Amino acid sequence: MTSELVLLKAALVAYLLAAGAFGLFLLVLHPISRALGLSLLLAAFLAHGGAIAARSITAGHVAVVTDYEALSFFAWLVVGVYVAVELRYRLAAVGAVVAAFAFVVTLGAAVFYSGVQELPPNLRSAWLFVHVTLAFLGNAVLALAFCVSLVYLFHERQLKEKRVGERMRRLPSLETLDQLNYRALSWGFPLLTLGIITGAVWGKYSWGSFWSWEPREVFSLIVWMLYAGLLQARLVAGWRGRRLATVTIIGFAVVLVSFVFGNVFFPGKHGGSFD
Amino acid sequence: MARDILIVGLSHRTAPSAVRERLAFPQVDLQPALARLAGLDGVHEAAIVSTCNRVEVVACVAEDARARGLETRISEFLAAERNMAHAEFAAHLYAHSGREGVRHLFRVASSLDSMVVGEPQILGQVKDHYEEAALAGTSGSVLHRVFHRAFAVAKRVRTETGIAGKAVSVASSAVDLARTIFEKFDDKTAMLIGAGTMSELAARHLKTQGVGSVMIATRTFERAVALARELQGVPVPFDRVAEYLKLADVVIGSAGATDYLVTAPLVQEVLRARKQRPMFFIDLAVPRNFDPTINDLDNVYLYDLDDLAVAVAGNVDEREREAVRGEAIVEEEVERFWRWFESLEVVPTIVAIREKVEAIRQRELEKALASLKDQAPRHRELLDALTSSIVNKILHAPIASLKHHDGREGTPDLVVSARRLFDLEPPARSPDDKEPDKESA
Repeated sequence: MTSELVLLKAALVAYLLAAGAFGLFLLVLHPISRALGLSLLLAAFLAHGGAIAARSITAGHVAVVTDYEALSFFAWLVVGVYVAVELRYRLAAVGAVVAAFAFVVTLGAAVFYSGVQELPPNLRSAWLFVHVTLAFLGNAVLALAFCVSLVYLFHERQLKEKRVGERMRRLPSLETLDQLNYRALSWGFPLLTLGIITGAVWGKYSWGSFWSWEPREVFSLIVWMLYAGLLQARLVAGWRGRRLATVTIIGFAVVLVSFVFGNVFFPGKHGGSFD
Repeated sequence: MARDILIVGLSHRTAPSAVRERLAFPQVDLQPALARLAGLDGVHEAAIVSTCNRVEVVACVAEDARARGLETRISEFLAAERNMAHAEFAAHLYAHSGREGVRHLFRVASSLDSMVVGEPQILGQVKDHYEEAALAGTSGSVLHRVFHRAFAVAKRVRTETGIAGKAVSVASSAVDLARTIFEKFDDKTAMLIGAGTMSELAARHLKTQGVGSVMIATRTFERAVALARELQGVPVPFDRVAEYLKLADVVIGSAGATDYLVTAPLVQEVLRARKQRPMFFIDLAVPRNFDPTINDLDNVYLYDLDDLAVAVAGNVDEREREAVRGEAIVEEEVERFWRWFESLEVVPTIVAIREKVEAIRQRELEKALASLKDQAPRHRELLDALTSSIVNKILHAPIASLKHHDGREGTPDLVVSARRLFDLEPPARSPDDKEPDKESA
């Protein structure tokens, strides 16, 4: 087994354990399980990062090209964004969702596992890294918004239905969740925009056109418009809370669908066929 | 037994607040209601305890009254007094008699039956309602005794257990809930509509948690000004609450009002003006101040007393042990009261009087005989016959009177007087029983 696979499996196990530890924290409310969850998630993040690095060295370029690589890199970025945010907010409940999310996406990536792919010479440029990183970082931040929104909806439901107790008090306050969601949107949206722009520029250099109406491009445009509308609604009409969370979740569902659906059924340049 | 103690009522344990608030007696209605209640067949003495969380009739009744359907007559009385259909609340009613009834009253006064176990307000409320009955002249020596014992039990439970110390008041649980909605308090504004003990408490809690500012609206503006000074808040005219509502993040209602002060359309309008920033409504009033449907609006959370009780229940575990100790005190006191109550019976009282006097006679007889130089048997016979005859003659009238009154109105008063005159204290009188005894008054 290559060192990449060993690290990847270690990361998967650690993600699962981290989700369990965070979940346990919400159940038994013991601070130890929260610290455990964070450490496990951090360990998983490092192992996962190691796996990506190992593969990139083997491939000779940043490993973001095949379906497997893309999904795996994406899950890794989501965890990275969460860890960065967790340093400022104490969000154990969100941690549980993020760890579970990272586990599922990485596992999904492993299903598409394939050997490294040679890049055509015309694609070997820094644009690949810049475009993919920006686009994925944008999507990773939106994934965090998705996780935060799930927790928000759960918390809001509990409050509305008067199912209150010690457990609910361990969830971040609605105000924090709502703010975090909004912040994630307002960071994710520009990143997504830059990702699309850099993709267009790169496309111009590589294939001679800015836009080629690929499924991924179309989906990205839909998602971009959805989030643009959402931010607008927040700023102008004061959309917040449940409505904001619901649309955030819908928006990210579209992202996920475009990722899987687009790549499996309409493989194009984004699916790793560069011809 | 000739008499019994009967409690008929409903509480937060059996009835939703919508029912409780309609059945609750406004203070002004108490006096005439008490007079009518005491007039019911089988009722000797009566009091009404009516708070936001319970409406109860506490009565000293004829022993067979329950068998003769007094419970139904009392619930019909409640229906007539409060203009409700009997069926609207009948299912929520409970009735306790005998030791069970005494236990219930003791538990209520000790706050063991409260929504928030250990909250201190209930004792004062029970006291006030007992005083109403005393004022109406519908309480006699039995209710006097049972209520004063209840106050003493409450005091014991408070000082001998940690219930009160650990009591999580409704007010502070409301503030805890606000914490799950709002992260920061310093940029938030609270608004009090009406100022009850509990809402004042909640405002103080919010203040110590660092809430930015407090607006206070009470029906009398002077009260708002005074309270505002105390809480370093801002008084707001009561009729302009709707305008100021858009500034409030936390709204606490405890005003006396028959209609909703804050309706769903008003909140919708307010939310638009505040760009949908969340609002937390806490309804401590009975009848309620806020339309319950505002909880269905996005970004609005409404909790009333019932909901807060559930929220408080989360911390019940740690208080459970203290409550168990409180229950033990109650049990002990119920037994003690019950011994007294049974001693109110005519026959045991007559027996006790006879025994006491006979003991005195025997003692004095022995003393007299001991001092006689010449102790002929006939002296003893003579003195024995003489003293017996005197004692019997003296006791004849009081005992005849007691027998004559047995089972009639006012018997307990007479028995209590007799016991006092003959210095027959009820068994096991407690040394801490310091309240002035007015049984014979």
